[in-house]
Amino acid sequence: MKLRHILVDLKGQSKAFFRIKSNIFWTLAFPLFLILVFGAIFSNMGSGTVTLNVQDLDGGPGAQAFLQSLNDTGAIEIRFIDPQADLEQHIKDNSLAFVMVLPSNFSEAFLPNSTATAHVDLRLDETVSSASIVRNIVGAVVNNYNLGMSGGREYLVMDVGSIVQKRFTFLDFFVPGVIGLTVMTTCVFGMQGTISRFRAAGIFRKLATTPMTPFEWLLARMLWFLFISMVTLAVVMGFGMLVFGMNMTLNPAALLIVVSASAMFSALGMIIARFVKNEETASAAANAITFPMMFLSGTFFQLETMPAYLQQVASVLPLTYVSQGLRDAMVYDNLDGAYWNLAVVAVIAVVFVIVAVLVTKWEEE
Amino acid sequence: MEFFPVPGETMGESVIEVRGLIKDYDKLRAVNGIDLDVKAGEVYSILGPNGAGKTTSVEIMECLRIKTAGEVRILGHDIDKDQREIRKRIGVLPQAFNAFDYLTVRENIDYFGALFDKRLGAEELIEAVQLQDKRDTWFMNLSGGLKQRVGVAISMVNDPELIFLDEPTTGLDPKARREVWEVIRKLKSQNKTVILTTHYMEEAEVLSDRVAIMNDGVFIAMGTPREIIDRHGSGSTCVVKAANEAAREAVRAAGMDGEVKDGDLWVRLENKGSLAKLVNLLASPHASYDELLVKGSTLEDVFLKLTGRKLAEVEQ
Repeated sequence: MKLRHILVDLKGQSKAFFRIKSNIFWTLAFPLFLILVFGAIFSNMGSGTVTLNVQDLDGGPGAQAFLQSLNDTGAIEIRFIDPQADLEQHIKDNSLAFVMVLPSNFSEAFLPNSTATAHVDLRLDETVSSASIVRNIVGAVVNNYNLGMSGGREYLVMDVGSIVQKRFTFLDFFVPGVIGLTVMTTCVFGMQGTISRFRAAGIFRKLATTPMTPFEWLLARMLWFLFISMVTLAVVMGFGMLVFGMNMTLNPAALLIVVSASAMFSALGMIIARFVKNEETASAAANAITFPMMFLSGTFFQLETMPAYLQQVASVLPLTYVSQGLRDAMVYDNLDGAYWNLAVVAVIAVVFVIVAVLVTKWEEE
Repeated sequence: MEFFPVPGETMGESVIEVRGLIKDYDKLRAVNGIDLDVKAGEVYSILGPNGAGKTTSVEIMECLRIKTAGEVRILGHDIDKDQREIRKRIGVLPQAFNAFDYLTVRENIDYFGALFDKRLGAEELIEAVQLQDKRDTWFMNLSGGLKQRVGVAISMVNDPELIFLDEPTTGLDPKARREVWEVIRKLKSQNKTVILTTHYMEEAEVLSDRVAIMNDGVFIAMGTPREIIDRHGSGSTCVVKAANEAAREAVRAAGMDGEVKDGDLWVRLENKGSLAKLVNLLASPHASYDELLVKGSTLEDVFLKLTGRKLAEVEQ
């Protein structure tokens, strides 16, 4: 093996790679695009407020004070319904999920010496997941009012603390997964595309007549995709930290996972291109292998939210371990988990690379 | 052509010796026992239609394919034992070769050159194939003829003694084809041995010292183009353009071998006196024609005679 042969190929590849615009898109723009789009879609899910539609038939100061208290919880956004409106029709027309009606005697109930009881009419669509949130919040405010009006003493007081030191957002979950996903797509498609194209262009036939060995070529290309994977890691991580103010750490575990993932997916691309000779069929095969991984390996959604049988599928997909390992290493600060995932990825990588080396040769027959 | 000496007699030692070469694919025998001797400094063409076995044969000589049987010695080295040594000393332009699309001419030459211990300078090679003004153009942006010239330059990076050019002009327009011919002539003038495969009869005839015509895995004729035509050709033909019925009748009555094609009368000239005899016959008062044309036999005619097929037809 000659180092010079490897350097020659790396030099050529480094010149050619960035002259191809689609390469720049897939390695740099695509992951950032994913983060921006999915970050925007999913980020509001946990912290969003619930809209409660209120028909205030009272309109007096008591009702206003009550609504102010609800608003102060910060969890509920109040939208008013015209007191004259036909409530049933209005709910239907606007597909409302949560409606509260304050009766016309609401303020009267607060008057001194009043014996009236005001009935707050809360109507919830129980099929909407945040229904219980509305019920609990309105219930808590109502209880608070009863307590205050009756002048009662507080026997029990609840102090709420947090048991997790850090609060993780969707982006904390998503961004390491984007690194894994991008390493997979660039390495698998890059390698498969290169081999399919070079075979059609007769470049392998030409290289076979030079002193370069197939192993040297393979090694040079794997080193190249390792470099590209590192660029992806740096760009995505930098973007997450600078633009979204994320807290990510780079440690040996994260680096080793990217190294192993890059080798594993490059080798996979090679094996695909080796066994599927037609360029278009090979590209379709690469898609067929990477697509399920994209969606089933817990990049976009937590594995726990998927049905059990899909979780079992995920457990045999290599990308699952790459993404989980990167999350453990870079965000969750769970090094035991990171190294366990690294071990899985490294073993698969070794197997794939051995197969790729064995099946790669210049001569055909 | 006939003024050149027969190269086999005057040129150097054998650079290629092939004996009884056979190559089998799954069920197909692609090469069925060929013998070949190529001397140093020759341009040797293997002419034949697609699927004749040309590329398989040269790819075995280039150490790209493994033979089924037979003996092959390249530059004195056994192909089974000294592939490494052979690779260092040969240059190859594979069939349908495209260099790296997104590298320039210069970068492509440098890439392949740097893989060899002994190499020629990129500028020297660019000059050799006349690509000075395309030096910094991406390979993908070159025309077909220029791409093939880059391919030839790349095949010369290690200053080889023996160069294989596998169908270097296939798919090129006539002008681009002639530009590639110029480059091949230049290789010959530098005393390189060149093995050229082609399915263009004219190319083999114009460029080569010797030709082997290949069909269905075997050589059906070998030698200088002149020798082959003399041995297998049907002599000269006189074409009597727009010959009228009286002219045709006169030729037929005289027992000459004539054939009507598109209103023209094609008469085979069997010996020295044939042409004079024909002219006399056409002098009869009722005979009329537009013009007379004397054509020699070509390798195309030889191929037709030996296989009963036209090269061009087999191609499609």
